[in-house]
Amino acid sequence: MTTAPAGATALSATVRVPALEIRDLVVRYGSGRKARQAPPAIDRVSFDIAPGETVGLVGESGSGKSTIGKAVLGLQPPTSGTVKLHGQDITAMSLKQRSRLVADLRVVFQDPYSSLNPARTIGQTLVEPLRLMGVKGPEALQKARAGLESVGLPADAVDRYPSQFSGGQRQRIAIARALVCDPKVVVLDEPVSALDLSTQAQVLNLLADLRDQRGLAFLFIAHDLGVVRFLSQRTVVLYRGQVMETGPVEAVSRAPRHPYTVALTAAAPVPRPAEQAARRAAREAAGFGTAGAAAPSATGCPFVPRCPLATDVCVTERPPLRLVEGTEAACHHAERVPAL
Amino acid sequence: MSVLPLDAADEVATEPVPPARRRRGLPGFLRRPGGVFGAAWLTFVIVASLTASLWRPFEPGQQDTANRLALPSAEHWLGTDPLGRDLLSRIFSAGSLPLLSSALMLVVAFGIGLPLALIAAERGRRVERVISRVTEVFLALPATILLLALIGVIGNRLYPVMAVLGVLISAAVYRVLLGVAQSVRQRLYVDAARVNGLGSLRVNLVHVLPSMATVVAVQAAQLFGIGLLIVAGLAFLGFGPGEPEPSWGFMIQDASGYIYTSPWLMVPTGLVLALTVVAANELADALAGKAAAARGTGRRRRPLRRAVAAAAVPAGAPADPAAVLEVRDLTVSVDDGPDLVTGVSFSLRKGEVLGLVGESGCGKTMTARSLMGLLPDGVSVTGGSIRWRGRELAGLSEAEIDRVRGREIAMISQEPMVALDPMFSIATQLVGPIRRFRGVGRSEAKRIAAELLRNVGIVDAQRVLKSYPHQLSGGMAQRVCIALALTGEPELLVADEPTTALDVTVQAEILSLLRALVRDTGLSVVIVSHDLGVVADICDSVAVMYAGEVVEAGTAAAVLDEPAHPYTMALLGANPHVPEGEPVPERLASIAGTVPPPGSWPTGCRFATRCRFVQEKCTVPFPVLPAHGEGSVLCTRVDELSREHAVWEPEHAGDEIASPLAPPAPVAGVSS
Amino acid sequence: MLAYVAKRLALAVGTVLSAVVIVFLLVHASDTTPGAVRAGAGATAEQVAAENEALGWNRPLWVQFTDYVGQLVQGDLGTSLVDGRDIAADMADRLPVTASIALFATLLSGLVGVFLGVTAAVRGGRLGRLITTGSGVALSLPAFWVGILFVYLLSLQLGWFPATGYTEFSSDPLGWATSIAIPVLTLAVGGAAIIARTAAAGMREALTQEHIRTLRAMGTPRWRIRYVHALRYASVPVVSTLGIQFIALFGGSVIIENLFALPGLGQASQVAASSSDFPALVGVVVVATVVVVVTNLLLDLVVAALDPKVRTP
Repeated sequence: MTTAPAGATALSATVRVPALEIRDLVVRYGSGRKARQAPPAIDRVSFDIAPGETVGLVGESGSGKSTIGKAVLGLQPPTSGTVKLHGQDITAMSLKQRSRLVADLRVVFQDPYSSLNPARTIGQTLVEPLRLMGVKGPEALQKARAGLESVGLPADAVDRYPSQFSGGQRQRIAIARALVCDPKVVVLDEPVSALDLSTQAQVLNLLADLRDQRGLAFLFIAHDLGVVRFLSQRTVVLYRGQVMETGPVEAVSRAPRHPYTVALTAAAPVPRPAEQAARRAAREAAGFGTAGAAAPSATGCPFVPRCPLATDVCVTERPPLRLVEGTEAACHHAERVPAL
Repeated sequence: MSVLPLDAADEVATEPVPPARRRRGLPGFLRRPGGVFGAAWLTFVIVASLTASLWRPFEPGQQDTANRLALPSAEHWLGTDPLGRDLLSRIFSAGSLPLLSSALMLVVAFGIGLPLALIAAERGRRVERVISRVTEVFLALPATILLLALIGVIGNRLYPVMAVLGVLISAAVYRVLLGVAQSVRQRLYVDAARVNGLGSLRVNLVHVLPSMATVVAVQAAQLFGIGLLIVAGLAFLGFGPGEPEPSWGFMIQDASGYIYTSPWLMVPTGLVLALTVVAANELADALAGKAAAARGTGRRRRPLRRAVAAAAVPAGAPADPAAVLEVRDLTVSVDDGPDLVTGVSFSLRKGEVLGLVGESGCGKTMTARSLMGLLPDGVSVTGGSIRWRGRELAGLSEAEIDRVRGREIAMISQEPMVALDPMFSIATQLVGPIRRFRGVGRSEAKRIAAELLRNVGIVDAQRVLKSYPHQLSGGMAQRVCIALALTGEPELLVADEPTTALDVTVQAEILSLLRALVRDTGLSVVIVSHDLGVVADICDSVAVMYAGEVVEAGTAAAVLDEPAHPYTMALLGANPHVPEGEPVPERLASIAGTVPPPGSWPTGCRFATRCRFVQEKCTVPFPVLPAHGEGSVLCTRVDELSREHAVWEPEHAGDEIASPLAPPAPVAGVSS
Repeated sequence: MLAYVAKRLALAVGTVLSAVVIVFLLVHASDTTPGAVRAGAGATAEQVAAENEALGWNRPLWVQFTDYVGQLVQGDLGTSLVDGRDIAADMADRLPVTASIALFATLLSGLVGVFLGVTAAVRGGRLGRLITTGSGVALSLPAFWVGILFVYLLSLQLGWFPATGYTEFSSDPLGWATSIAIPVLTLAVGGAAIIARTAAAGMREALTQEHIRTLRAMGTPRWRIRYVHALRYASVPVVSTLGIQFIALFGGSVIIENLFALPGLGQASQVAASSSDFPALVGVVVVATVVVVVTNLLLDLVVAALDPKVRTP
C-alpha cells in the first residue's frame, strides 16, 4: 500500500500497543457433550491489528470469519482466549459496559437491507449511538448530518427512511452509523458482498478514503481475496476455524506458502480469458481435493482431505504457524508449496 | 368452543412499515373490505354494548306478556323472547360481559406470552428451552375441560375464569410470538444497536417490538373472537350470568327450545354473535394482509398478447446457419407495465457457451428465463423471436413448451439448496424424469441415476441417491441439480448464476464440471453471471447487458481484453482482481449512481447518465454498430473513444468523500 | 432416536402429572368440600366433617396426592361423590362416544378442507376468493348455533337424522351412524374451514417455492407438480392442524354433547362441574389430558414420516 498513514503504522506496530489484540481465541457453539466433542467454530486464533492498519480476514463459508467478528464485538461470548482493545481486556465485558468504556469499536454488516431498521429514519438511526455517548439534541443531529456528508450522501437524508435508498446508499448509511462516534477500530463484516460490482467499487473506495483520512483500523472480513488485497495491509487466512496463513497481503497473494491459500487464490477467476485459462490449467494440475469430501482428522491439519501435499505427519500433528519466506504458514510442507 | 390454531401469523410480514407510508393514507388493513367491515362492526358492537343502558328501548328484564315470541315489529325491532322481553335491548345489554371478559383474557395472555417470548428470544437457547417445555405442557392441557373444572370449584365467576383461560392461552401466544421475536432479533439492525450499547429493554422496545406489532395485532384479533365464542359457549352450558340477566349463550340455548315453533328466535342473537366473531377474524386477516394472498396464483395463465412476433425475423438479420439458438429483438415486459428487456439479440452454436453478464436489474435473468417460458407471473415476452433449432419458442402454449423443457432445454438455478424438492429423496427426484424422458423401468432408471451422479463428479453416488436435499452441501446440491438437468439429455443448458451462492473453490469445481460436459457432450450453454471472472473462465462469447439491452457482444477474449463500450470498461475497472505483474491500484474505477430501474430508462444511450464520456449526441437514439468481428456495440462514440484510447480511469484517493453523490432516487422494486 | 422417544414420553408423563396437580390444587382451594357434596344440601356441619374424615380429606395434601397417583397408575379413578359409581368405568363408557365424534369430524374436515383449500390455491380467481371468504365466516360461527341450524334443517325440515340422543353402535350400527351425523357435521363446519385455510396457504406457499420452478423447467406434468410435489410440501402444516383440530374438537365436545344429549366425556365434565363432583372432575381432566398427549405423540410420528427434515439428520 502506498498510503501514508498505513505505511507509518505498519512500521511502528511492533512498538505501539495494538489497536486490537486477539489471543488464542476459541469459540464453541452450543452446550452439552455433543458440542464439547465437535471441533470448535474458532480454534486458537491469534492476531493483532495496529492503529490505522487494515487486516483482512479471509475464508470460505464455515471458516469462522464472521464468528471472530462477533466475538470481537461481544455479540458471541468466546469460550476462551482474550480480546484486547488498545491494551484493555474487553473479552468478558458486556455490551452495556462496552458502550461506556470502549466507544471506539464499531461495526458495518454485510446485508445493507437488514442492518437498518426500516421503521426509523436515517436521522434516528444515526443519533442512537450518539445519544448513548451523551451527545444530545441539535448537536447530535448536526453530527448525523455531517456523518452523512462524509460518506457522500446529502445531509437532508436524515429525514428519510431506509426503503428510499439503494443497497449501496444503505451501506454508506451503515458506514456513517459506524463512524458517527469517531471510533478507532471498525469491524467490517463482508461490507461489499451483497453489492453489485460498480457499487462495490464505490464503497471500497469510500472505505479506503475514510481509513486514510481518519487513520482507522479495520478488521475486514471477506470471502474474496481480491477485495481483501485491495483494502488490507495484512491478511489472515482461515479454514475451519484455524489460521492457515497470515502475513503482508502482497506476500500472501503473490507467493502463498500454505496449500489452502494456493487453492483459494487459484480458484478465484480473473476477468482476462487468457490469464484465467493458464490459472485454471495450473489449478487443475495441482490436484486439490473436492471441497467437503471427507471430514478432517481431529488432531491434524484440517486441510488434509483436500491437500495434494498431505503426508502422515499432517494427519497426526497439527502444524504450528511458522515464518516461511515472508509469511507465516501453518503447514508442515510450506517449503514445498508450488508457486501460483 | 374450539381453540383455533393461530395460523395467521405464519404469513404476516413482520417488516414494520415506515411511519411515513402509514401517514400517507388509511392504514393498510382499512383498505381491504374485510378490514373495514371488521373494524366498523366491532366498533359498533363495543360502543352499542357499553352504552346499552343509555339507549335501550326497554329494560332487559321488562316483560311484555302480550307480545311473547314476537317477530320484529316497529316496537320490538328484533322481536321478543318467550317471556316477551325485547331482544334488541337484551342482546346489547348482554354484550359488555363477553367483550370485556375476552379483553381481559387478551390482556392476561399477552401480558404473559409477549414478555416470555421476548426474554426467550434474547436469552438464548437454554432459557428458551425451559420456557418452551413449560408452555408445551400448558398447550397439552385440555383448556375447555379445565375451565369447567375451575367453574366447578370457584363457581360461575366469569372474569377469573377468563383470566385463567388467558394464562392457558398465553402458551399459544408465546409459541407464535417466539418465532417472530427470534426472526426479528436475527436482523442485523438489532445487532448494530447492541454494539452501540443500547440496553436490553430499549433494544426490545425500539427495535424488536415495533416489528412484531402486526403479528400481535393479528393474534389479538383472532383470540378476541375465540374468547367471545368461549364466553358464549359457557353461558350456553349454563355457566353464565344466571336468569334474568341476559347472556348471548343462554339466549341461544333458550332459542333452541323453541326451534319448532319460533325459529326466528335463533336469528338475532346468533347473528350478532357470529358477526362479531367474523368481524374479529376478518380484521385479523386484513391486518395480516391475507386478502392479498387470495388473489389466487393464476400462475399458469398466459397472457394472450404473448403470442406475437414470431415469424417476422427482421430482414437483414444475419441468420447464422450454424446457430442452434437464435434470439432476435427479444422484448420482455411487465403486463401493463414497463419493459424489462428490449431488443436483445444473440445466437448460439452447438457446444458454445454464451455469457449474459451485467449488474442486477439489467434483465439478464429475464432474458435467460424467457428461453424456457419460465417468466414470473405478470411478466411475458411481448416481442421478438426465440428460434430454437428452427422452431419458434416465443408464443408457444404451456403444453407445447413443456415438451421442450427438460428434453431439449434444461435449466440450473442460483440456489441449489432450494432448487431440489425437500420432501423427496434424490433417487426419487432423478428416477421420475429419467423414466419419463427415456421410457425405461424403475431399476434401469435407478442405474442411470447413479451413472449420472458419477458423471457429475459424485463419487459415492449410492449414498447421495438415498439422501435428502437438506443433507447435501451447496456444491453437492448443485452437482445433483446438474445431473437432474441432464436426465432428459438436453442440448441447451440455461444456467442462471449457477455458482453465485457457492464458495470460490466449489465454484471452480462446478465450472470445471460444466466445461467437461460441454466438451464431452456438445452441450450448448447460456450462463447468466455478474462475475466477469466466471465469464472469462467458461464463456466462448459474451453479451454485456445494461438496463435491459445488450450494450456489447462478441467473443469473450475480444470483449474482456479490448472492451469497446464504456460500461464494459467500467465493470472491468471496478473489478478488484489484479492482473498478474501489475500493482494493486490505489483506488478502483467506479460508476456513479445506480442502474436506472425499468420504466425510467433515458432515451438514447441508457448508460448516458452515468457515463464519463457522455456527449450531447448520446441522448438521441442510435443504431447498434458491428464490433469484435461478429459482435456488436451499442455506443455512438465507439470510434472516437477507440481513437482516443479512452480508459475508464480509477478514482483518485479522496474523491469519494470530496464529491457527495446526487440526491438519492427512489428505488423501484423490479429486479431481474 | 431412542433418546428422542424417551424425551417425548417423559414430557407426556409430565404433562399428565401437571394436569393432575393443577386440578388437585384447584379442588383443594375450593370453598366446598367433598363431604358437603356427598352429605347433600341441608346436612349439618358434623355430618359434613364426618364425611370428609371418611373420604380422607383431612390428611396432608401430599399424602392424598400420592395416594391418588398410586391409584391412577392402576387405572383407578375413584368413585363419584354424587351417585357412587366407578369413575374409571364411566369414563370407559363415555370415551368412545366423544372419540368417535371427534375422529369422524376431524376426518370429514380433513377431506372437505383439503379439497376446498387446494381448489382455492390452484384455481385462484373468484372461486378462490369465495372459498377464502366462506371459510373465514364458517370458522367464526359458534358451533352450538350451527348445531341448532342443522337440527332445524336436517332433522326438523328434512327428517334425515334424529335431532338428539345417542344409539349404541353394538345395538344398532345404522342408528348409531345417524345419531352422530349432525354432531359430526356441526363440528366439521369450523374444522373444514380451518383446514381449508391451512391447505390453501400451504399450497400457495408451496407453489412459489424454487423447487417448483425446477420441476417446471423439467417439463414435469402440471398435475404432478400440484398434487404430488406441492401437496406433499403443504401436507405438513395440514396434518399438524388436523391434529390440533382433533384436540380442539375433543374439547369442543362439551357443548355438542350438551346440545345433542350425547353421553360423552364433555357431558360428564359439565355434570361434574355443576354438581362439584370432584373425583369425576379430576377423572375427566386426566382422561382428556391423556388423549391430548397421545394425539400429540402420534402427530409427531406422522410429521416425522412426512417430513424428511424431521426424520433424517
